[in-house]
Amino acid sequence: MKAMTQKKPVLKVEKLTKRYSSKEVVKQASLTVNQGEIKVLIGPSGGGKSTLLQCINFLVVPDEGRIWLEGKEILHSQKKELYDYRQKVGMIFQDFNLFDHLTALRNVEIALLKVRKMSKKDARERAVAELERVGLKEHIQKYPAQLSGGQKQRVSIARALAMDPKVMLLDEPTSALDPELITEVLAVIRALGADGMTMVMATHQIGFASDLADEILFMEDGAIVEAGPPARMLSQAECARTREFCSKLTGLYGDSR
Amino acid sequence: MPYLLQGSLVTMALVVGAMGLGLILGVILAVGLVYGPLYLRTLFNLYVWFFRGVPLLVLLFLFYFGLFTLVGINISAFAAAVIVLGLISAAYQSQIFRGGILSLPEGQLKAARALGMSDTKAIFFIILPQALRLSIPGWSNEYSIILKDSAVAYALGVAEVMARAHFVASRTYQHLPLYFTAGVIFLVLTYVGTKALRVLEERVRIPGYMR
Repeated sequence: MKAMTQKKPVLKVEKLTKRYSSKEVVKQASLTVNQGEIKVLIGPSGGGKSTLLQCINFLVVPDEGRIWLEGKEILHSQKKELYDYRQKVGMIFQDFNLFDHLTALRNVEIALLKVRKMSKKDARERAVAELERVGLKEHIQKYPAQLSGGQKQRVSIARALAMDPKVMLLDEPTSALDPELITEVLAVIRALGADGMTMVMATHQIGFASDLADEILFMEDGAIVEAGPPARMLSQAECARTREFCSKLTGLYGDSR
Repeated sequence: MPYLLQGSLVTMALVVGAMGLGLILGVILAVGLVYGPLYLRTLFNLYVWFFRGVPLLVLLFLFYFGLFTLVGINISAFAAAVIVLGLISAAYQSQIFRGGILSLPEGQLKAARALGMSDTKAIFFIILPQALRLSIPGWSNEYSIILKDSAVAYALGVAEVMARAHFVASRTYQHLPLYFTAGVIFLVLTYVGTKALRVLEERVRIPGYMR
């Protein structure tokens, strides 16, 4: 089954554009992610990575462009369709955005109960299973304020996974973490990749990206400037600006994988 | 004394009724003011402006003797007082809740939407439970204000603490002890109510937050 669907596009984004007043923060961005692929967005801060990711699940409504999930075009003005689509697209935020008034368990449970209308028993079982999967078995009854940054991010990953997403969007998932907490989150993401999860991730963890990514996309001033396999992008990128950026990142983060 | 104390039950009923009505309307107003479309925000802002701007006594008379009579609604002075105090309180409470909603990080709503929640669900299950917790301190302020404002209901002939004190005083000429007692009753009610809200605040406090 897995091998057969290997090349099926899960998510297709075509010519996405977002403007704030007259400034284009995302310019004609296109990308296709196939089943099980991991695409990594790199580029300077303010380059539009975060906006692009948020446009993909319409948290920020793009001005132009089309999006398909598993071959079906998403019309975001249809509320029902939009909500269904968002369930299938897991989103991980830089600053976690856990629901502060709920325990880790309730954070994972709530959408299962209120959105997917699962029974209490099923939702609880699923939530516990997902929290175990990210290594938080002992912490399920804790509130976000009682968890470390790394633990919070793992809860947010469990929360997204519980919805059975077809694709995950990760917006700099380790950028708000202390260096020593980064590893635990990266380990979880690495395991996801190994399980065949389709992902689009913005990150500055270049070493990690080159290990995991099928393709690296360099984004600057709202446009995807260059894309290619990690080996080529990191050492012999065609665009001079990409080369310069990558060598800086490698110097900074090269050893943290 | 027992006669005055019975009045405190009427006073409490006025306050609880008005706060309850104000709570429901206030939450609706606050949500509309933050998330609603422009026409709704304009409408709600007009509401808040009107009920915060016109003096309580004017509103009481306007509704009880004017509006309710005009449209032929025949209600008791007590019900009229609850409704008017509630409508006014809604305007004030809406601003308390609006502050609570606005103090939440934007990411809370984003995360809820990203999970496929409609805005209504997100507001119900994610935004309001947090915003209302943050509103309790402001709410205890509103309680003590309503409590004192409720004394004005005596002008409609509602037999609350003030009306009873006035009634007895005008017959016995014992002004000082009677109004003194009335004042003490209000002080006690303020203390009990604000204390109860502090207990509530403590009980719904989210674990892990510093005080």
